Amino acid sequence: MARSRYRRTTLLRELALIVVAAVFSLPFYLLIAIALETTEQTYRAPLSFPLSPHWSNFSQAWNTGGQAALPRSLESSLIITISSVAALIALGSLCAYAIARRRGRLSDLVYILFVLGIILPVQLAIIPLFVVMLHLGLVGNYAGMILLNVGLLMPLTVFLYTGFIRTLPRDYEEAARVDGAGILRTYSRVVMPLLRPITGTVAVVVGFIVWNQFFEALIFLEGSRYQTLPVSLYSFAGDYVARWNLILAGVAIAIAPILAFYLFAQHQLIRGFSAGLKG
Amino acid sequence: MTAAVTFSDVRKVYPDGTRAVTDLDLRIEPAELMVIVGPSGCGKTTTLRMTAGLEEISEGEIRIGDRVVNTLDPRERDVAMVFQNYALYPHMSVFDNLAFPLYARGISKTEIRRRVERTARLLELDGLLKRKPRALSGGQRQRVAMGRAIVREPQVFLMDEPLSNLDARLRSDMRAEITSLQRELGVTMMYVTHDQLEAMTMGTRIAVLRDGLLQQCGPPQALYDAPDNLFVATFLGSPVMSLLRGRIERERNALVCMLGGQRLPVEGNPSMPALNSYVDREVVVGLRSEHLSQADGTVLNGPQLRGLVRLTELLGAEQLVRVDLPVATLTGETHGRSEVAEVTARLDAHAHMAVGELIDLSVNTAHIHFFDPTTTRAIH
Repeated sequence: MARSRYRRTTLLRELALIVVAAVFSLPFYLLIAIALETTEQTYRAPLSFPLSPHWSNFSQAWNTGGQAALPRSLESSLIITISSVAALIALGSLCAYAIARRRGRLSDLVYILFVLGIILPVQLAIIPLFVVMLHLGLVGNYAGMILLNVGLLMPLTVFLYTGFIRTLPRDYEEAARVDGAGILRTYSRVVMPLLRPITGTVAVVVGFIVWNQFFEALIFLEGSRYQTLPVSLYSFAGDYVARWNLILAGVAIAIAPILAFYLFAQHQLIRGFSAGLKG
Repeated sequence: MTAAVTFSDVRKVYPDGTRAVTDLDLRIEPAELMVIVGPSGCGKTTTLRMTAGLEEISEGEIRIGDRVVNTLDPRERDVAMVFQNYALYPHMSVFDNLAFPLYARGISKTEIRRRVERTARLLELDGLLKRKPRALSGGQRQRVAMGRAIVREPQVFLMDEPLSNLDARLRSDMRAEITSLQRELGVTMMYVTHDQLEAMTMGTRIAVLRDGLLQQCGPPQALYDAPDNLFVATFLGSPVMSLLRGRIERERNALVCMLGGQRLPVEGNPSMPALNSYVDREVVVGLRSEHLSQADGTVLNGPQLRGLVRLTELLGAEQLVRVDLPVATLTGETHGRSEVAEVTARLDAHAHMAVGELIDLSVNTAHIHFFDPTTTRAIH
């Protein structure tokens, strides 16, 4: 029985998957290869892997650039992403908890409003938003960018959390209430831990969106000292117009933190995603 | 500290108009184990949840001790509840599960440790305190759920079908354990179940509910011996009481009950005085299996019924024999045969029975139950 399980179709399927994986890895290979080449090599043989890797590209990319300096924008990106995700999880889960557990038209209506928020493109409102935030002193600083992100991504966060909470049995909360816990204790000690799988999903989805965010960051932060990585890389490309090895070394530095996080939390993330989907 | 629970005219109507509980009047005495039993959808769980404060009361009043608790939050009622699926917090260890109600009440850490450890010893959970619920067996989870209720020393325990997720063997063990625990702690307990066996074996008293209406309340034996109506009569007891359509007639100054062509004297039956007003009228006759025995066909065995053996079920110590009698059934169903009703008799396991043979059953007429066919109420 065990021998017959590995059939020809299995082999074909494996081959197909290997091809797909290779195609997906190609850009990554190019990124690393070019980042390690000299400028001359990038023009002569960009696709071949350099036999003597040019590691200094990384230090050069890391150390140069005024407003667009990588260390500073890495710091900005980290601060903005972590703060936005933390605020979204704290507020979004509370909001979704109320929507999912309250019966009645009001909560249905609020839910629909949030869903509409996912559908409508932010670009529609970007000009009035910019004007209002400029007047409030929220352009070109952390607070404004974090607030903007929380607002923009709250619908998605609430949507994901609400779907999950609705599938959660009420028994745990009822047990906690009878056990003498108030609403906040019930939420923080019982509900929030039960939301762990979906919180993982939300953190990754929302975190990636914020980390890779370009359009909003360009409009609200460009030229300030709080510029994030994608914007810096963009101006990098302007500064080093012909030096692709330096540009790609910068890109490699920019994706390193998220890649490290992904490798580190891979197991957790996949569990979170599948639990979220099941919910 | 233990308290009485009193329901006065309690009513629950859901927003969609469903009446879950109608005009419930019931008092559960301090330290009593009251079993609320009924088929699914009868309102028993709603009653329990209203007591816990998880469900609003539409009308009426619930008191715990002297306090009216209608609008009190669950945590202000000083009750503990064991849920059907236990609702153990999956992310907490057994210790934290047991300690949670105490933390929520702001009790000191040393006192919490003392009480959790005492409860764990009582329920033999000592070695499991560090485990998570998912690493426990069904019986152990049940114990933790019990422990979480006990640890707080509440005034009233509420149990919502706590044994329904256990296998038969464990269930009978836990039945005894819960009963003895309740006696030991001397605490008031409301115990909801759909299982009549749990009700009979555990309850100090039983309250039988049907469609949100209290049918009868009393000690298990009293309900079994003198059910108020057909529902209670058929709900309690296994095998189910056999029901036949009979007719009361007067024969030379004595009352007899005609079952098809056969007659049973009702002399000595407690319902006899009341049956006088049913002469020449139809009644529903209820026979419990233990009040039928095998007769030899002679008059020496007293009143008898004759029928055909249809099926025998051997239980080891005894056998249940289903006998077809040529009598109209209650429902008028004929099962493809004309006018045949079935009665179940509990006979000696070693008595020889062959399907299709004629059998004479001797009837203990003092224990026949009579019901009014229109009101379904017992005649007495």
